[in-house]
Amino acid sequence: MSKRVFLAIVLSLVLVVSLAVSGQSKSITFWLMPNAPDETHIPWLEQKAAAFQAKTGVKVNIEIIGWDVAWQRITTAIATGEGADVFQVGTTWNPQFAATGGLEQLNINEFGGKDAFMKANYESTTYKGKCYGIPWFAETRALFYNKDMFAKAGVQPPKTHDELYAVAEKIVKTFGEGSAIALAGTNAHDILHNWTIILWANGGDLLTKDNKMALFNNEIGVKSMKWYVDLVRKGYASKACAEYDQNQADAAFINGNVAMCYMGPWNIAGIEQQNPGLNYGVVEPPAGSKRKASFSGGSNLVVLKASRNKAAAKEWIKFLLEKDNMVEYTKNLTHMLPAQVEVFADPYYETGVWKTFKTTLEYATAYPPLATWGDIENIVKQEFVNVLSEYVNGTYNDNTVKKHLDAAADRINEVLKKER
Amino acid sequence: MGTSSKAKRVKAFWFILPAAICMLFVHFIPILWGAYISLLDLDVYTLADWTSAPFVRLGNYIKLFSGKFPVGQRFLRSVYNVFIYGLVTIPVGYVIGLLVALLLNREFIGRTFVRGLILLPYITPDSVAYNVWRFIFQARIGLVNKILLKIGLIQEPIIWLVGKRALSAVIIASIWKGWPFACLILLAGLQGIPAELYEAAKIDGASAWQQFKMVTLPMLAPVSKTLLLLNVIWNFHAYNQFYILLGGSVGEAHVPSTFIMQEAFTNLHYGLGSAMSVVLVLIVILLISILLAKRRAGYES
Repeated sequence: MSKRVFLAIVLSLVLVVSLAVSGQSKSITFWLMPNAPDETHIPWLEQKAAAFQAKTGVKVNIEIIGWDVAWQRITTAIATGEGADVFQVGTTWNPQFAATGGLEQLNINEFGGKDAFMKANYESTTYKGKCYGIPWFAETRALFYNKDMFAKAGVQPPKTHDELYAVAEKIVKTFGEGSAIALAGTNAHDILHNWTIILWANGGDLLTKDNKMALFNNEIGVKSMKWYVDLVRKGYASKACAEYDQNQADAAFINGNVAMCYMGPWNIAGIEQQNPGLNYGVVEPPAGSKRKASFSGGSNLVVLKASRNKAAAKEWIKFLLEKDNMVEYTKNLTHMLPAQVEVFADPYYETGVWKTFKTTLEYATAYPPLATWGDIENIVKQEFVNVLSEYVNGTYNDNTVKKHLDAAADRINEVLKKER
Repeated sequence: MGTSSKAKRVKAFWFILPAAICMLFVHFIPILWGAYISLLDLDVYTLADWTSAPFVRLGNYIKLFSGKFPVGQRFLRSVYNVFIYGLVTIPVGYVIGLLVALLLNREFIGRTFVRGLILLPYITPDSVAYNVWRFIFQARIGLVNKILLKIGLIQEPIIWLVGKRALSAVIIASIWKGWPFACLILLAGLQGIPAELYEAAKIDGASAWQQFKMVTLPMLAPVSKTLLLLNVIWNFHAYNQFYILLGGSVGEAHVPSTFIMQEAFTNLHYGLGSAMSVVLVLIVILLISILLAKRRAGYES
């Protein structure tokens, strides 16, 4: 028996030592989201990882993580210091993860300097003036419309919110209730982005300039949310939109059942795959009462502070940002917009729908870089869900929006007090 | 004798040790750890270096119960929801399970096959079953609305998975998923009842209903209590059905598990999340103790 105990101890020692050694070996783990369809995405990544290994001798373990679980995986990695060395984060996540102290501070000059990147994207990597990420790609939202349905209804793409209502009215007359626009409802994780486009266009904002107080429950905020909910109430959007997630809204448009949808450049890959015959166009988001506005998002690459291979992780980021790799990744694979000014200068982005996205991105707004941003976003989202629930329950009235926006504002003002 | 029993004990000690160590590391230490975290203000600022999180004593618990904070009200609401959920799903699942078990306890051709068949909902993985139910409850394409429209109970599609009907939708799906387990356990219980008892009852002139009331039900009591115990525990941890069916729009239909998940892991309020988990564990322990105490009393009588 003592022999066996001895054997067990030896075996476990071997295990511990081998684990320790494997941690020091030349390999890094890279987490990213499904930015392109797997069939094209994975082969491209594997090919690039092999090229990187040939160049530097560092093996890159690639893992694709869905957006729905990415947040939890990353927070776990930050709390435990294990998991990935380098990973993708959404621009709106970057400041919050930076505030945890779990991200490595980066010197932007090593990566070409801050002027090499789109301004809103560079700002999203900062927290308290320091840089904790490198912009990878950008995205913005614009209005997709179905050219065939528009021609049949005899309408032109809307340029303002009022025009959008007028257009929707005619489309509904031609194609029936709910056929004018597809909206993401309570199940959309990005419902906030869709609403802030309206809010900003009407001259409103989520927070005061100094980021100390909620501002969205003022008259402009109430008006903007009513405009959004009325798309459903007036029958321009299907009532079922109340329970939609973004994919369902996108699908309704892509299948050709609905004439308009606020979508992003990544949807183009979806259209090419699912309904290549769709005759669609993209126009800038219709202007509100004050200005044109859109949402600036995208993704950054960050390094885990607890990583044992930070140098290699940074090299991998530099490798991905090389112009050829960037052009391939954005133009051919993901259809995202490059976050680098140099790549964006490619004449390709002056053509077709890309021209629209490029113009839109020039005035697109990013969220403020706050550590408590996740909280703020969730609170607005929850109250938005409550507004839609009241609509579903049949208890929606003129005060519903104001009531829930006030509730959200109160909660957010509490949260903002915690911001350091 | 003394030495051999001592040797036995030593041997037993060695057998238990590996499991005990595992339990220690994967259960007991994390539980105590979690309880300790519930006394910290552990949030986004202290996530990477949580030992530096400020010690706030019972601050998180006060937030939950003082009634002044929305998060507390929402948590209490989620506890209320899970009670409603349990109070409906457990009895209804039990009754359906019992009725089917009584049917299946008779002799008929293909009985074994049917017994296997009724287990289908139970053995379907949660993710599959509840995703299908999510489709069934969709407003525009869902089966429920199609049927209700056809038989004229509703005039236009109603939205099930958002707002006040969400909890009912989850309850319906959960009953469908849960009753076969009750049926399985009760069937085993039925088969354990000696046939002589029924014969004796028949000789005494008992009707079928009297037989059921005087023989079947009392004989099923121990099994039923175990079933109740398991169901109470499972219900309090209900997560999959809510998460899958309602996804991002749990809204008013939050139960403690989904709410803790959201507060701790999405909003990064780990201290508060741990406090809620501790409260949840205490409620479950309390309920189980009551049930177990009753059960013991039942045995003694």
